Amino acid sequence: MSANRWLTTGNYFTSYKDEQRLFFKHLDRTIFSLFLTALFVWPLLFHLSNKYMLVIDNILIAVVAVMGLNIVTGFAGLISIGHAAFVGIGAYTIASFVRVLGDSHVLLTHAWPLMIILSGVVGALFGAIAGLPAMRLKHLYLAIATLSFQMIFTWTINFMDFFDQGQTIAVSRVFWFTGKLARKQHYFFWYYVILVVIVIMGFGVRNLLRTRYGRCLSAVRDNDRAADAMGMHPGLTKVYAFALAGCFAGVAGALHAYVYRGVGIESLSLHESIIYLAMAIVGGLGTLNGSFWGPAAIIILELQMETLAENASSLLPSGMNLATALKPLSFGLVIVLFLMFEPRGIANWWRIVRSYTKLWPFRY
Amino acid sequence: MSYFFQLVISGIVVGSIYALAALGFVLIYKSSKVLNMAHGQIIASGAFITYALTGWLGLPIYISFVLSMIITFFLAMSVERVFLRRLIGEPIISVIMVTIGLMSIIDGLIFLTPFGSVNFSFPPFLPEGLISFGGVSISWTQLVGVIITGIMIAGFSLFFKKSTIGISMRAVSDDQLASMSIGISVPRVFGLAWATAGLSAAAAGCIIGNITGLNFETLQAFGITVFPVVILGGLDSILGAVVAGIIMGLIQQFASGYLDGNWGLNGTAEVLPYIILLVILLFKPHGLFGIHEIERV
Repeated sequence: MSANRWLTTGNYFTSYKDEQRLFFKHLDRTIFSLFLTALFVWPLLFHLSNKYMLVIDNILIAVVAVMGLNIVTGFAGLISIGHAAFVGIGAYTIASFVRVLGDSHVLLTHAWPLMIILSGVVGALFGAIAGLPAMRLKHLYLAIATLSFQMIFTWTINFMDFFDQGQTIAVSRVFWFTGKLARKQHYFFWYYVILVVIVIMGFGVRNLLRTRYGRCLSAVRDNDRAADAMGMHPGLTKVYAFALAGCFAGVAGALHAYVYRGVGIESLSLHESIIYLAMAIVGGLGTLNGSFWGPAAIIILELQMETLAENASSLLPSGMNLATALKPLSFGLVIVLFLMFEPRGIANWWRIVRSYTKLWPFRY
Repeated sequence: MSYFFQLVISGIVVGSIYALAALGFVLIYKSSKVLNMAHGQIIASGAFITYALTGWLGLPIYISFVLSMIITFFLAMSVERVFLRRLIGEPIISVIMVTIGLMSIIDGLIFLTPFGSVNFSFPPFLPEGLISFGGVSISWTQLVGVIITGIMIAGFSLFFKKSTIGISMRAVSDDQLASMSIGISVPRVFGLAWATAGLSAAAAGCIIGNITGLNFETLQAFGITVFPVVILGGLDSILGAVVAGIIMGLIQQFASGYLDGNWGLNGTAEVLPYIILLVILLFKPHGLFGIHEIERV
């Protein structure tokens, strides 16, 4: 590791332990810490309006959810078309506390970190239950099973009086040491909370891949019979992957409930599940940094399309509803084009950039 | 008792539409092992093309019905040629995601037209009123829908039994390598499978549109409801699609007829198919008529 950086032409590891290090060089570690510091400091320097802060919060929440989806779909290779339902289970955990205790109960406003963790646990529980078909099924059949889980979830929320038939259930603003958060601080405050959650969970995912269970996941994805022969339990591994994904999604759901100060079914529909899948694919399935690129790319694309539709609608006849048309159109095109021309996602571009800069100013 | 028979009749009507919708889905799966998530959108576009031909261009409804099936035939074929042909041999998740992307694209395209926001209905061309016998009644649109569905299904089974193309499609679904070695062009069969699926989807779309009116939400929802049907019948069985379609229609009608309103339940018809789907997946994943080639983990 102390070798001259300019002379290394590749990764020459001398032991397996070396290969599994999180940071290969001290430089990596330094750059990463600087980057993290920058992430924590910039909101203090540039004051963004609430509108933009909400967009950033939105992206970060999606990052948490997509990290979970990446575990189940990317690392374990199980297609989940019901991820929004898992996010919904986290959100509705908060909502059910609101319904029982009232929205300004101390448990919800003061002990919110506990509530977020609890949502993760409940999400993991439901993830494991929904993953039970994975004990027997593969591929397409599993995709259909998760789809039906999504449909049953949506129906249950719409049906139950307890959840107000899927109408928005309000969650109040939380308290910090300085007292109840003001409206101006709300998104700003949650930016930091979500950032901390992402750092913890990101390290969790990165480390998961170094553990026995993490490697079980990719072994089962690549060849489940071989994994079985090597003493792993493919069925249990898959259920475990679903539970992990459910945990991430549950946390994302709780964050969503707090940031939006409400829970409603319309942001947890089948359509959202598909958007999460698209984020994972555009970012790059089975990569950690893909879980950051994908949500950012898709959410920014959506915003751009909204602006475009607003600008263009004055030119077009009034009967055309451009905003509702452009979103799915652009979204579908992005998915299809990525799958056809860059199936490894934006993470692959990142990899290319990195391997290019590694040898700069020399080329291969 | 007549209430029961009324439910049976409407169950068969709904079920036969499911059968027709599931037929196209199964065709695509059977030949190319692709799970087509965009099937509901193809059904909707079939119905909308028919309306555009008859309502805007003023063609007679029967001619536009046939024309729309032909247009959708070529549309689905070109979809396969442009998007799916490149993905032969790619992992399943890519292929499923491409069909999801297609679903989004077709959604967007339909929202560009008036069909996305306005509800149309076909001009009435069948006699009004109900045909009733013994307290059970059925409307003309429903009756004609069932008859057309029956004819279409019979036609398809004949096509697969007798015609060379149909037999080659069955051969490809059985064994791609063997069918290639006797000179069947497998990509061409994939294209044809999509095309015939498009054709049957257009027919289903027209029949649904004629019964319920041309609402985009309703039409595209059939693309999702088709999943429980095909799983119940077995993903690769055409007979299964027909039988399961009718069973599912009956179950839905009985659920809304007998369960709703009792024990504080309502809207059970929407959720029951998915519960059945999960149960079948857990205990009998190949469905009623599917081939027992499910890989157990």
